[in-house]
Amino acid sequence: MALSSARLLRTVCEKCVCRHTPPLWPMLPTGKAAFYGEYRRPGQPRDWNPPWKKFRFSFAKGVQGIRKHFGLLKEEAMERWVGPQGRPLIEHMLEQTRVQWEFRGPESLKQWTVSTDREVGGRSEAYLKLGRNNGTCLLYGTLCSTPPRDGETRYSGYCALRSKQLLSSFDRKKNMDWSSFNTLYIRLRGDGRPWMINIGAETYFSHMRDDMYNYFLYTRGGPYWQDIKIPFSKFFLSSRGRIQDSQHPLWLDKVNTIGFTLGDKADGPFQLEIDFIAVCNDRAHTEEFAYEMYKRNPTV
Amino acid sequence: MNPYVLTIFILSLGIGTTLTFASSHWLLAWMGLEISTMAIIPLMTQQHHPRAEEAATKYFLTQATAAAMILFASLTNAWLTGEWNISQISHPLSVTLTILALALKIGLAPMHFWLPEVLQGLNLTTGLILSTWQKLAPFALIYQIAPNTNQTLLITLGIMSALIGGWGGLNQTQLRKILAYSSIAHLGWMIIILHFLPNLTLLNLTLYILMTSTMFLSFKLSMATKVNSLATTWSKTPPLAALTMLSLLSLGGLPPLTGFMPKWLILQELTKQNLPITATIMAMTALLSLFFYLRLCYSISLTTFPNINNASTPWRFKTTQMSVPLAITIALTMLLLPSTPTITTLFS
Repeated sequence: MALSSARLLRTVCEKCVCRHTPPLWPMLPTGKAAFYGEYRRPGQPRDWNPPWKKFRFSFAKGVQGIRKHFGLLKEEAMERWVGPQGRPLIEHMLEQTRVQWEFRGPESLKQWTVSTDREVGGRSEAYLKLGRNNGTCLLYGTLCSTPPRDGETRYSGYCALRSKQLLSSFDRKKNMDWSSFNTLYIRLRGDGRPWMINIGAETYFSHMRDDMYNYFLYTRGGPYWQDIKIPFSKFFLSSRGRIQDSQHPLWLDKVNTIGFTLGDKADGPFQLEIDFIAVCNDRAHTEEFAYEMYKRNPTV
Repeated sequence: MNPYVLTIFILSLGIGTTLTFASSHWLLAWMGLEISTMAIIPLMTQQHHPRAEEAATKYFLTQATAAAMILFASLTNAWLTGEWNISQISHPLSVTLTILALALKIGLAPMHFWLPEVLQGLNLTTGLILSTWQKLAPFALIYQIAPNTNQTLLITLGIMSALIGGWGGLNQTQLRKILAYSSIAHLGWMIIILHFLPNLTLLNLTLYILMTSTMFLSFKLSMATKVNSLATTWSKTPPLAALTMLSLLSLGGLPPLTGFMPKWLILQELTKQNLPITATIMAMTALLSLFFYLRLCYSISLTTFPNINNASTPWRFKTTQMSVPLAITIALTMLLLPSTPTITTLFS
């Protein structure tokens, strides 16, 4: 009774608010959803369905899940007998390059997520498909920087390709250990647009959830392939798109995701073709970190 | 860090541990534990890196929980028996809770989950302090309550720690995590003999501190935090590569090095106490730890890594780090076995 009258009040409030001013109540940090950072698309009403109404029970799916997860657990236990990450130690020690992602079949595209500002009401489009001879991946689409007319969003026009989080048995997060390497090596072919590479590392605190290490990727355009080598010491820290004052180097022992973002405010079509993404150890590169690590309380 | 501030923190660390050593009242001992926990937190967050902050947070939460459990156990004992004296703790509930709390403090299995992650987030110097100095105060308390402890609980904790320490360290490539699991395994050896001969626990602790200090200082000198960086030590300091190998074998408990002494004496005592199966299990679990020490030996000295580091002839340059402590600890790590009778007399 109380719940339905509260809903009625909210509905009445939505209708009464002047169309020219944005409603205040969705922006106030009320309730669990905003506090825990659940995503709500701007301009959309909140989802009031309780969690038990969204539950879909399936016995067959459950059995399949049990088989899959116990199988993964068994593999993890067995690979422990072999060596680090399931390979002999000598391989780990001699490794100088590792191709982390390559696009050789349709299943390789399932490791990636494409997103655009369409999720917030924008009009950009992006699609991912396999390139020629099923040997590369092609990210293509159209960028549109017209902001959506929802009264909240001011800027728009981006698209992003991000790798999915690796999961081990029972959906636990699996991190990539790139500590033997110091350079990111990508072979790609772009259209001259400037992209940004984002690396997401493992974080502990909730305020670091959106921490990301970025660097620029300037594509040359043209029919020729481009080999890009970016040392990890060049990546700078940003959080929710804002570059942080206090910088620190990226620790490579727990890397979660890598992503590519395009947001150059140039409306029109774009294309990016990636052959592979690898990491390598450039022994000539000795720099530990390229930026000033902001010194708090400097001695005067 | 400002040298005056650093001095205050180091002195506080010393004061906290000394307070626990000197106290006979549970409250004063708890205070000493809290002072040393608080003192090391700023040292852990010296590096302004999220992983260091994560390590400091995890360390603080576990240590605070353990200290609260110790306080609760001592309060319970005081309520039930009227005794505040550390060595007079007698109620079984209080003793069990105290042992579990101290196990959480030092990182005994199954309360060990924090140790690898915390050590991984720290630099080698702070890791050294955490692995050595911070174990002293809890062990002082464990030693004092040894006669009242439950034998089964201690044997269970010991075997579990030795097993988990050996199993967990098997496929690590980060040196600090390897040392964390090595620490867990050694703590298992220390705790298993506590009920029968507490002095052997102290002997094992002393030698463990010596050997772990050697390892941390060696890695600090070669600036290695991964197995792959260890592999290039031969081109930086060839003698250190050889000596680190011997120190690792000592840590693994191989004769004629120092590390064999505590294992030998503990196995002998366990056999005397009619626990041959426990002794056999402990000896077998030591093989797991030995496997990853040998792996480190393999990477540091038994193979010549095909790629060298990019500095030219680094062995020609003098290091700016102090090498005297390392020299002393390496010598002791390798040469103390013949002095076993003297050392056992010292600890009896």
